[in-house]
Amino acid sequence: MRDNEENSLPAGVAPEGKIEVPAGGLVLPDSEKGSLVNAWSLSLVGAVVVLTVLCTVWPDPYLEILCFVPEGLLVTFEVTILSIICAIPLGLITGLGRLSHNRVINLIASTYVEVIRGIPLLVQIFYIYYALAKFLQVSGLTSAVIAISFCYGAYMGEVFRAGIMAIPKGQTEASRSLGFNKVQTMVLVVLPQALRTIVPPVGNECIAMLKDTSLVSVMAMPDLMQYGRSFAAKSYLYFETYTIIALIYLIITLLLSKAVSILESRLNYYDKRK
Amino acid sequence: MLRRLLCTVLLLPTLLCSAASAAEKIVVATNPEWPPMEFLDDEKRIIGYDIDMMNAIAAEVGLETEFRMTAWDGIFAGIAAGNYDVIASAVTITPERQKAFAFSVPYYDVRQIVVLRKGDSAANFEALKGRVIGGQIGTTGIFVAQKSGVDMTIREYDSVGLAMQDLINSRIDAVICDSPVALYYANQKEGFADHLSVAFRTEATESFGFVVQKNRKDLVERLNKGIEAVRAKGIEAELIRKWMGD
Repeated sequence: MRDNEENSLPAGVAPEGKIEVPAGGLVLPDSEKGSLVNAWSLSLVGAVVVLTVLCTVWPDPYLEILCFVPEGLLVTFEVTILSIICAIPLGLITGLGRLSHNRVINLIASTYVEVIRGIPLLVQIFYIYYALAKFLQVSGLTSAVIAISFCYGAYMGEVFRAGIMAIPKGQTEASRSLGFNKVQTMVLVVLPQALRTIVPPVGNECIAMLKDTSLVSVMAMPDLMQYGRSFAAKSYLYFETYTIIALIYLIITLLLSKAVSILESRLNYYDKRK
Repeated sequence: MLRRLLCTVLLLPTLLCSAASAAEKIVVATNPEWPPMEFLDDEKRIIGYDIDMMNAIAAEVGLETEFRMTAWDGIFAGIAAGNYDVIASAVTITPERQKAFAFSVPYYDVRQIVVLRKGDSAANFEALKGRVIGGQIGTTGIFVAQKSGVDMTIREYDSVGLAMQDLINSRIDAVICDSPVALYYANQKEGFADHLSVAFRTEATESFGFVVQKNRKDLVERLNKGIEAVRAKGIEAELIRKWMGD
């Protein structure tokens, strides 16, 4: 049973040990192609130009909308950053738990992943904020961070598991035969190597997380989306408001995806020298 | 290609037929989270004052109604896009809304009421300074709170029920909404009435109207005629007794 699990690679891992970009995630810009005209720069320049043109040619209402939402952007960032800080360690622990040979730990980690993956994030947010309020009350921000990091912790657990499993078994065997114990082997030998395959998909998850924070507006959290909805509800300018909101989200995620790709190319330093 | 053409030819008469019979039928959008104006009963049917009123009006002028459940946030975008003919959902007539949509004559007058937890008190917005007030996003209650100029944190919920729930859970200090809704939660609604009390109501009155697309003047006239008839026949007074209890 256990051997079987180890032999079959989890979904998302190609045999060469490269992790494929999960469906629905952003395509990370390929920094190795140095050309100026690629999908990433085209999207960014397009978004910035459209935003600038809209705000200069029709300051009423576009500039007005743009000036209305910055406070919401701060809340969006706050929720995203706190969630990332909580989700990455949670993902690592879950990933290690899923690989553990201890049946109890393995079962707990696997059950957590199965349960959380099977419940939509919106339902989880409602559940933590409104349903659990019967027993314990947490603020909007705390609920948002708990819901998002629990959800993404489960997703990231699978990414960490895949990344660790992609490291050839020989590495562990060599390390153990040189006298490292299990923890040392994992921390000093396996994880540093796994990091290179793990970082791009984890970066992707973080970007997806930023986009999913727009769901917290259902608990009246004043994030970017909530400010947009509030403006639209007051002015009845749905097209104009959501155009601006979409452009802002797009520009932020494009910049973040660039950051992830730079980080990725730094980690692939040794690959390039080959 | 041929198959698609054939499908279109076969479907065309059906489409035309449905368009012809729809002449007497109007689709009415409502957000059934605003008791007693419109809400869902135990059997998930949409009921309420607005529903009965709309049906009575439609019967007077020979229209057939089909109610469609719609989220409040986006109900106006839907009428602008022509997804339905009328909004009957306790919509206050405001100058801003009149710029974008056409309204029937006013059919019901309300004020805004601020609800607090039992044992808490406030006589006006000034007394709520520095506290947290909630309401449903895009409702006039929120606008009144924003225009009051008092420094309060305003939280906009997807529905007034969620705001009331958060009030009971002590996450917010007050909820503002239309008077019939506030009175329903504070006096009638099980699970809420024991915990909530009315703090104060605003001076200014607001009037509800049915919303129609700007270019459908004919429909506005028809609805107005219907409202007149419903009033003349005493149906309106009967409905007010039925739903508002006074």
